[in-house]
Amino acid sequence: MESAPALEIRGLTVRYGSTVAVDDLSLTIPRGQTVALLGANGAGKSTVVNAVLGLLNPAAGSLQLLGRDPRDAVRAGSVGAMLQHGGLPTEARVGEVIDLVRRSFPTAWPLDDLVVTAGIDGLLGRPVDALSGGQRQRVLLALALAGAPPLLLLDEPTSAMDVEGRRAFWTTMRGLADRGHTVVFATHHLDEADAVADRVVVVAGGRVVADGTTAEVKAGVSGRTISFTAAPDRRLDGIPAVTAVSREGATATLVTADADTTLRALLADGGLPDLEVRGATLEDAVLSLISTRGTTPMGATR
Amino acid sequence: MSPLFAFQLRRVARNRQFVFFTVLLPALFTVFLTEIIGGQMAGAAERQDVAASIMVSMMAYGAIGAALGATIRISFDRASGWLRQLRVTPVPQTEVFAVDVVVGVLLTLPSLLVVALVGRFVSGVQLDPGTWLALVAALWAGSSAFVALGILVGLALDEKAAGGAIGILGVVLAALGGLWWPVEMLPGAMRGLAYTLPSYWYAELGRGVVSGGWAIAAVLVLAAYTAGFGALAVLVARRRPLYAVAG
Repeated sequence: MESAPALEIRGLTVRYGSTVAVDDLSLTIPRGQTVALLGANGAGKSTVVNAVLGLLNPAAGSLQLLGRDPRDAVRAGSVGAMLQHGGLPTEARVGEVIDLVRRSFPTAWPLDDLVVTAGIDGLLGRPVDALSGGQRQRVLLALALAGAPPLLLLDEPTSAMDVEGRRAFWTTMRGLADRGHTVVFATHHLDEADAVADRVVVVAGGRVVADGTTAEVKAGVSGRTISFTAAPDRRLDGIPAVTAVSREGATATLVTADADTTLRALLADGGLPDLEVRGATLEDAVLSLISTRGTTPMGATR
Repeated sequence: MSPLFAFQLRRVARNRQFVFFTVLLPALFTVFLTEIIGGQMAGAAERQDVAASIMVSMMAYGAIGAALGATIRISFDRASGWLRQLRVTPVPQTEVFAVDVVVGVLLTLPSLLVVALVGRFVSGVQLDPGTWLALVAALWAGSSAFVALGILVGLALDEKAAGGAIGILGVVLAALGGLWWPVEMLPGAMRGLAYTLPSYWYAELGRGVVSGGWAIAAVLVLAAYTAGFGALAVLVARRRPLYAVAG
C-alpha cells in the first residue's frame, strides 16, 4: 500500500439515467503531484471527483485511493475534500467546526499553521452564518486540510472568490504540493491550471482528451483548427491526429495536432467546402478541447 | 462522548426559538390553562385532576415539539451541504445518523422536566415520587415515536417543505390529539381522527401513569408508530443517503 499511487482510476463510467457523465475514464496520479482537471461545466469533472470520494456509485470501473477503496480511504482519513455542494453548519462557530473535523482524523494539521495556510486568520470565533462567500470557501479549504490528509481533492475551489482571492489561493495550493500533499483540483480556468498544476488533465464529454505537463498540453493543443461545412451524416470520428471535434450548425471544427495528416484523411473521405485552417491560439485550442456541446472526444463512437 | 454529539447538542442549545417553543411555551401554557380552566372548578380534588391533566398534555406538547424540532435539523443540514461535507471526513455515516437520533431523544427531556416542575410547584400537582419518576420515564420513552417521525420528515423532505411540515404536524398533533383541549370537545369526525393520532395516545400514556396504571393500548400504539416511522425513515435513508445533494 505504501507504493500505491495517490489515485488510480480504471475504466470509470458514471451514468445519470441515460446520460453518460463519465465515459470509460482512466487516470493514474502518483503521489506528490498537483493535477488540474480542466474542463467546461458539465464535462464530468465533478462527477469524477464525487466518484473518487465514493459519493456516487459508478456504472463500471475501479477506483483506488492510496491503495484503498473510496469509502475506506475517506474513513481512514487519507483524503480531504472541498466539494461543489459541500457546506457549513448553521449555529456554529468556525473554530468549533474546524475542531470537530480535525478531531475526526487520525492526524491533524496544527491549528496555528492551519489558520495561516487556509487564510482564516481572525475567523475562528466567528459564527458560520456571518461569513462572506470567500471566507466560507477558505473555511471549507481549512476543513479539507484539517486532518493533514495525504490526498486532497478540491472541486472548483476558487469558484466563490474574486481575482485577488483566487491568486492568494493559488499560492496556498502550491504550498500544499511543497509539503508533499497530492493535490487534485477541478477547474474551468486555464490560468488556474497553468498557475498551480504540474500536470493538466483535460476532460470533455466525460473522457480525458489531453493529459500531460502544462507544457505538454500546451504543445499538444496548440495545433491547428480546421473548419468546414459538413453534411449531417459526415463521419467525424476516428480521423487521425484530431484531438477535439465540435459541430455548430453545419460547421464542423476540428482541432488537430497534425494538420497535414488530418487534412489528407478528410479529403480521402470527401470534399471540404468552406475549408478554413488556422493556427489555434492556446486559449482557442483549449476552449475547443473542453467545449462539451457537440464535442466528440478522440476515438469516441457516435 | 463523540465530539459530534457535543457539537450537535451545542448547536441546538444555541437556538433560542427551539428553547422558547419546546420549554418556555409549554411551561407558560401549563400555568395559564391551569389558572383559567382549573379556576372554574369548585372542588380541590377536581382542580387537582385538571391541573394534572393539563400538565401531562403540556409535557406531551413540549416533548413532541422538541422531538420534531431537534430532528428536522437533518433536512437543514442536508440543504446547507454540511452532511455532504461530513461525509468526506472520517466520521461514519451511522454515527452522524445516530447522533441526530440521540440528540432528538435527549432534547425532549428539558421539556418534560421543566413542565413537570412547573406542574408540581406552580400548579400544585401532587404525585408520589415513584409516580413522578414513572411519568417522566414513560413520556420520555414514548417520545421516540415523534423522534422517529421527525427523522423521517427530515430525511424525506427538503429544507422548506420539512420546516413547514414540522410546523403543521406540531399544530395538528397538538390540536387534534387533545393536547390543547380535551378530545371530547372535538366534533364527532375529528374525534375519530384524534384516536388515530400518536399524540392522543402519548397523552393517554401520561394520564394513565398519573391515575396509577399503565395504558397498555397507548404503549402498543406508540410502539407501533415508532416502529412504523423508524422503518420508513430507514427506507428513505437507503434511497436517499444523508450526503445526497438537497433538491
